[in-house]
Amino acid sequence: MKPDLIVRSPSQSLALRLPTRALWALFGVLVALVAIVGLSLMMGSYPLSASKVLHILWQQPSDETGTTIVWEFRFPRALVSIMVGALLGLSGATLQNVTRNPLADPSLVGVSQGAGFAVVALTILMPELGYHYRPLFAFGGALLVAVLIQVLTTGRTGSATMRFILTGVGVAAFISAGTSALLTYGDIDRAMAALGWLAGSVHASNWQDVWLTTSCLVILLPALMWASRPMAAMRMGPEAATGLGVRVAFARFGLITLSVTLAAFAVAAVGPLGFVGLVAPHVTRRLTHSGVGLHLLITAGVGGLLVAVADLFGRTAFAPIQIPAGLVTAMIGVPIFVWLIVRQQAQSEL
Amino acid sequence: MNIKNIGELGRFSGMAVVIALFFALHISIGAKAIPLADVFTALIARDDTIFDHIVVWDLRMPRAVIAIVVGAALAVSGALMQGITRNPLADPGLLGLLAGASFAVVVAFGIWGSAIVPIMPLVAAGGALAATGLVLWIATAAPGGARPLTLILAGAAISAFLGAVIAAVQLLDQENFDQLRVWLTGTISGHRMSYMGWCLPWLAVGFVAAFAMARQITSLAMGDDVAVGLGVNVVQVKIVSLIAVVTLTASAVTLSGPLGFIGLVIPHVVRLFVGTDYRFMVPYSALVGAAYLLFVDIIARVALAPVEISTGLVTSLLGAPFFVWLVRAKL
Repeated sequence: MKPDLIVRSPSQSLALRLPTRALWALFGVLVALVAIVGLSLMMGSYPLSASKVLHILWQQPSDETGTTIVWEFRFPRALVSIMVGALLGLSGATLQNVTRNPLADPSLVGVSQGAGFAVVALTILMPELGYHYRPLFAFGGALLVAVLIQVLTTGRTGSATMRFILTGVGVAAFISAGTSALLTYGDIDRAMAALGWLAGSVHASNWQDVWLTTSCLVILLPALMWASRPMAAMRMGPEAATGLGVRVAFARFGLITLSVTLAAFAVAAVGPLGFVGLVAPHVTRRLTHSGVGLHLLITAGVGGLLVAVADLFGRTAFAPIQIPAGLVTAMIGVPIFVWLIVRQQAQSEL
Repeated sequence: MNIKNIGELGRFSGMAVVIALFFALHISIGAKAIPLADVFTALIARDDTIFDHIVVWDLRMPRAVIAIVVGAALAVSGALMQGITRNPLADPGLLGLLAGASFAVVVAFGIWGSAIVPIMPLVAAGGALAATGLVLWIATAAPGGARPLTLILAGAAISAFLGAVIAAVQLLDQENFDQLRVWLTGTISGHRMSYMGWCLPWLAVGFVAAFAMARQITSLAMGDDVAVGLGVNVVQVKIVSLIAVVTLTASAVTLSGPLGFIGLVIPHVVRLFVGTDYRFMVPYSALVGAAYLLFVDIIARVALAPVEISTGLVTSLLGAPFFVWLVRAKL
């Protein structure tokens, strides 16, 4: 076993211990991300060789079609997949830590559906407001659902965790039905636009989506890193966290808001992608053990990898028909979810 | 006949009157409103020269009949599931039976086309049975066994998975599945009346099995050990009930697509009035379920008129809050 890497501040008053193995895992995930971006740029109905892709990326004029395909379609699409996966992975990890519930996932407890409902309402009822209001609406819808579930589950005795999930399942069913009703009510063109978005597909991604998701990640990742200390304490339960000096109610509220924001931005960009937030943290935990901060970083990478692979598979496996990434992530995620139900429940307080 | 039986008779016929009323309302309300008096005339003496009579007989009545049958079937199967699993949250939709049945129908339709229509209930039953088996297996394999939480999570997982596969299959073969798309959101439509013949034997099997098992299920509610002590053959009761649940659900799905939450809501409402005796639970669930679905279908047609909402969406919009309330109140 190699010794852990320890970073100290000059005055020795601060120190950060980083397990070597986790750092290697992070490095491996980053390499895999670069590899999957490369593959995404090469593969498709217009295959490009690796050298050609490199030429195009380095702005060396070669063939016109290839340049358009790489810069206008494949590159933003691959980047958006990764960013969205990272956002959802982080959202799921945060939610799991705060609720101390290994099965929490933004798409299972209705948060994604809330964001989806708000965006569909925007698309159908107020189309003149346009694209820029999407994140705002998604955030509003997601937050409303999160608050609703919190309100519905507090104030009763018994296992809070179990009620949190079951209430979420019910709320999710309600909102999904509402969204579908909205679709039947709306104008057919707008409804079709909303429907394509709802399947959770990154196929229409452009650079605008890249900037949206990237800026969200750039702003919120430091916030999450800063919040990783209280989060680590929260994992041990409210009593222990209070003993360690965490203001539990405040931290809980802040972290859930953070988690909801992350999910809302991801949903605003590409629609609800199921099970990514559930799977990514668990895969990371299998890969390596580390502190909360490093775990979050690796989770972001794994989430990005998951969505990028799902999208690549979805668009190449049955070409020319594209399977939306959301369906692929659901098909990958459900078996893992089942495995989690069967295996891990004993360890939690469910 | 003693006084209690007469009271029971009154309650039963009261319920029947409610159904008749909803039935008449259901036929009378619609894109073209037909006065109740005309509905009665049309039902009693059909006259093909009057346009309204044709509308009543060929369009509206089949739809109302399907609503009655499907509502009764789903409510009874929900009641049986809640009794057998002793789980207040059991429901054909929540435990994945509806998704399994829909999935089987979609797959069979994709492979054999409309040739499967005569055996559609059988195909749906196979799917429902497989999904139940899978959900039960996952839930019992989980530490702590088949409790409400594990059952619901397993059901949600199976439903999500099958839903994703159905959506993917639809994308791969769009032309073939266009006609199934509306059906998959749960819609009651008079056109499906032609399927009724294929479903009737299965419905009969299901209802007879449910009524036959009612007495034993009451003792099962006190626990398997008590039931054995009372001379109930627990394994036999469970198998026959499972057959009833699966055939009823499959017929309902064949007729109207997946309609969620009916099997959850109705038995709870009925239990408030008749108690836990399944000899009353089963028939009243059937009656109340039929009335409820007629009512829901009326809402689905008038809420956003002239647009119709899928009936399945309305049952979910009404049922999901009830589910949340149940979680809050009972767990």
